[in-house]
Amino acid sequence: MPDFDRTPKAKRRGNRPGIWFFKTVMRVAGLRGAYALLYPVCFYYACFDRAAVRSALPYLSRRFPGMNRWQREWAAYKLFVAQGKNLIDRHALVAGAVSFDTGIVGYDQVAALSGEGQGFILLTSHVGNWQTVMHSLERLEKTVYLLMRPEENPALRKAVQVDSEKSRLKIISPDQHLGGMVEVMQALEQGDIVSIMGDRTYGADGVDVRFMGATARFPYSAFHIAASAGCPVVVLLSSKTGINSYSVNMAEVLWPKLVRGQDRKKQLCDWVQQYADILENYLLVHPLQYFIFYDIWESGNIDHRTKNVE
Amino acid sequence: MAADKETALQEIREILKVKLIEQLSLEDVKPEEITDELPLFGEGLGLDSLDAVEIIVLLQRNFGVEVKDAQESREIFQSVNTLAEYIYQQKTGA
Repeated sequence: MPDFDRTPKAKRRGNRPGIWFFKTVMRVAGLRGAYALLYPVCFYYACFDRAAVRSALPYLSRRFPGMNRWQREWAAYKLFVAQGKNLIDRHALVAGAVSFDTGIVGYDQVAALSGEGQGFILLTSHVGNWQTVMHSLERLEKTVYLLMRPEENPALRKAVQVDSEKSRLKIISPDQHLGGMVEVMQALEQGDIVSIMGDRTYGADGVDVRFMGATARFPYSAFHIAASAGCPVVVLLSSKTGINSYSVNMAEVLWPKLVRGQDRKKQLCDWVQQYADILENYLLVHPLQYFIFYDIWESGNIDHRTKNVE
Repeated sequence: MAADKETALQEIREILKVKLIEQLSLEDVKPEEITDELPLFGEGLGLDSLDAVEIIVLLQRNFGVEVKDAQESREIFQSVNTLAEYIYQQKTGA
């Protein structure tokens, strides 16, 4: 059930029968019923799927450096359960089976930006449930373009209904000509929102920042685009706070600027570091809401996806 | 008529080369080193997709020209020559 790194093995964890089964349980027994099923499933993964546990350890070992091996394994299990709940919530929301109480810190300033017709970049992270939070942005009446590869798992893509005709969530694929930048700039120009993941490079160029006491590689494209387009970057953070509630934080709005003639990458690194600090502080409060099942700290990390320049 | 167009295109190309160097901070490149047909991306000038963002902004700010069609962009962003042709078309409606 947990959505780990996208290796072929990981795809099997979110296959069509599995999703169907959880959705059926959710319809029959509600959210709590589906959650109850998670505990044994995640316990199985924690005990027998060593690749799954290993993928969680880079984060857990930095967030909880004082833990021994067994405590970290237990934390991995709790992380799997937390992510499982997020995935169930996502499906429940799309199915119309439930509505979530989503309090948004910083909503007024984002609504003001949107009301002025200002396009902006929404910088997301592997924290909380950004897919569910996106639905709460519908009240802005703007289209949200997700700069990402179309979901490789067809079952999951169908379930979350991104890019469907009626959805205000659309995908701009970076595999397009010029990495989809023409579409990105057009969306910002017309006052829409472009969502970019900020804490994993997926093969794109990145910069080294201090994150949880070590050096991690984060992408800088969001800040580069924003500086060029003259638009802000809104940092989106979220966490599940109860069975039917999420807390969303959009209070941090950054306006990156680049001084011509100075080292561009160094300047971008400073902006990315600001974001890394914001994320780290958030995770101090919400440690089991970070679903980064990948070693972003690994020295000289080469992401398994290839960069697409053309 | 054809001579007028070529003169206008030449002028646009020259401005483009200077602005590309400025906007993209290509400190080691001189305008005369950017030939009209030199590919902008990949082999050639070696620009990447984020540089494309800068070029889109450059076209808007310096020439008042927008690139809205993603399909069209494949043709437009090939070289200084194709960029100049696009700017000329947009400005004159030709």
